[in-house]
Amino acid sequence: MDLYVAALGFGLISVSVIAIAAVGFTMQFGITNMINLAYGEVMMVSGYAAFYVNRAGVNIWVSMIAGALAGAVLSFLLNRFLYAPFQRKGTNLIGMVIVSLAASLMIANVMLAIVGYYSASYVVDQGPLVRSNGLVLTTAQIAIIVVAVILMLAIHLLLRYTRLGKAMRATAANPTLARNCGIPTQRVIDVVWLITGALCGVAGVVAGMNSENFTVSSGAGYLIEIIAAAVLGGAGQPYGAMIGALIIGMLTELSAAAIAPEYKEVVAFGILVLVMVLRPQGLLAKRGALAAAG
Amino acid sequence: MNSYYAATLLVYAGVDIIACLALNLQFGVSGIVNFSFIVFQAVGAYTAAVLSMPPDTANGGYQTYVGGFQLPFPIPWIGGALAGGLLAIPVGLVVLRKLRSDYQAISLLVLSVIANSVITNVRPFLNGAAGIAQVPGPFADQVNPLTPSYQLLYVGLTVPCVLLVWLVASRIVNSPFGRSLRAMREHELAATAIGKNPVQLKMTIFIVGGVIGGLSGAILVGFIAVVAPSIWLYPETIILFAAVIVGGRGNNVGAILGALLVPVGFEEATRLIPPTIGEWVPPPNLIPAMQWVAIGLLIIGFLWFRPQGVRPETRRVFEGGPE
Repeated sequence: MDLYVAALGFGLISVSVIAIAAVGFTMQFGITNMINLAYGEVMMVSGYAAFYVNRAGVNIWVSMIAGALAGAVLSFLLNRFLYAPFQRKGTNLIGMVIVSLAASLMIANVMLAIVGYYSASYVVDQGPLVRSNGLVLTTAQIAIIVVAVILMLAIHLLLRYTRLGKAMRATAANPTLARNCGIPTQRVIDVVWLITGALCGVAGVVAGMNSENFTVSSGAGYLIEIIAAAVLGGAGQPYGAMIGALIIGMLTELSAAAIAPEYKEVVAFGILVLVMVLRPQGLLAKRGALAAAG
Repeated sequence: MNSYYAATLLVYAGVDIIACLALNLQFGVSGIVNFSFIVFQAVGAYTAAVLSMPPDTANGGYQTYVGGFQLPFPIPWIGGALAGGLLAIPVGLVVLRKLRSDYQAISLLVLSVIANSVITNVRPFLNGAAGIAQVPGPFADQVNPLTPSYQLLYVGLTVPCVLLVWLVASRIVNSPFGRSLRAMREHELAATAIGKNPVQLKMTIFIVGGVIGGLSGAILVGFIAVVAPSIWLYPETIILFAAVIVGGRGNNVGAILGALLVPVGFEEATRLIPPTIGEWVPPPNLIPAMQWVAIGLLIIGFLWFRPQGVRPETRRVFEGGPE
């Protein structure tokens, strides 16, 4: 039984990591209609950016800001100079997926040439243990959960109560109409890539903190869990991604306790298959803040 | 140029041509973005391996795998092709029925990553990360595989398969069925409106592609004698996509051209890179990494500047129709 309580603790952290990542991924899809398969690699770039800052002796929480900046800038550039030109050219959905996969391949290998195959790990002050009902977490782990909750709240407030959030939802629902209403959709989309890129960056750093070490190739594994959470929640739906992250994160960790840790990704995949067969539109389809365009 | 080198080049070219023809049927002709194509090749390879190998207790049992039937040629090749087709049925039923095209693509990508990690982690099934080695090729018990005559024999077995696949692919592309596939690719709703069943069309071509992909894997494993998860990671599929995009989507000549230009030509071209440039010795991982970057650039460059590829698909127009 203790095993499952411990798994619940790991689950909470996994949920936090996946939620941060999946909300960014699904917002990119919902607002800019782009399945960005380079997302996992941008996470790794941010993870390594934070790693080098951290290794220089900077506290990991400050390094996380460097990671967020790296993610934001890279995502912005990726959209500005690669995705947006292809979309303007009228490339179809299939073409865009291929472009983003090619981008992912290129980012991963440029990174590989720079950082090499070696695994990296952060210097984290784990802090004192916090115990409650058999649940044991370090202070750093609790901080990850707090970061996730704050970010989710911030996204909620942004989408619900700000003019920018309203403009984002309008752009997601109908870009042409939004532009005709005087919303500078181009600028909105730029901001979306900056914000989601920052989320991606933070996710890369917390994912690195959550595992003992990481390599360039960790990105593909992260991407699987993110896609599973986003599709489960209904692609393009930030609230759906949060629910999806909750289900995927908990079930993968509990299954790791019940079966074996190697099968975590398989469980995520199994959930994905079930969703695709039973409810391909996801849990929160056609509701929530952002409807998937197209 | 010695005969080993020539034979290796020819067999690899044959395998890549077969794979590109299959991917072209799915992606070029029908618009199915099969990002897990390499899995079908791998299934063919594993099946051919376990069909042709002795039981895993032989050789001191240093590797574990299911099967080990020691069946003679051509059963392993036929088995590999069938296995590819069989795998296509459940995958197609899950992925191709309801999902939007880009959803299909990411689902297949996820499948490719997961399948690789499962085979890597479940060691007793197909020997895990180490893979299966010492796979006997066709007639290896009658002709010594290390002789030039065996190399020639292998080329002689590969070429008819390439021709057969080309024949099948041409028949499909030029048949009314191929016309339906193109109609579906161009405008699925319009094709449905004139009575075509897109799910049935997609399933059929997905299974045909799976069979051909399986065959390509069987041919490959007989020649290199090894199949391991590290040779069928998902980026391998991207190379084949690069080939079909560069060569020209939707026509078989384009697919063959792409196979010769990208997987074959690329590999050969990088052999010409000198190990040292002046005084500077590049780090060992730089050149392979840059190869992948070049593949990515090739895809993006072609999609931007020449999406129709080197040899564009001929536009089939009805003479009496409006322009």
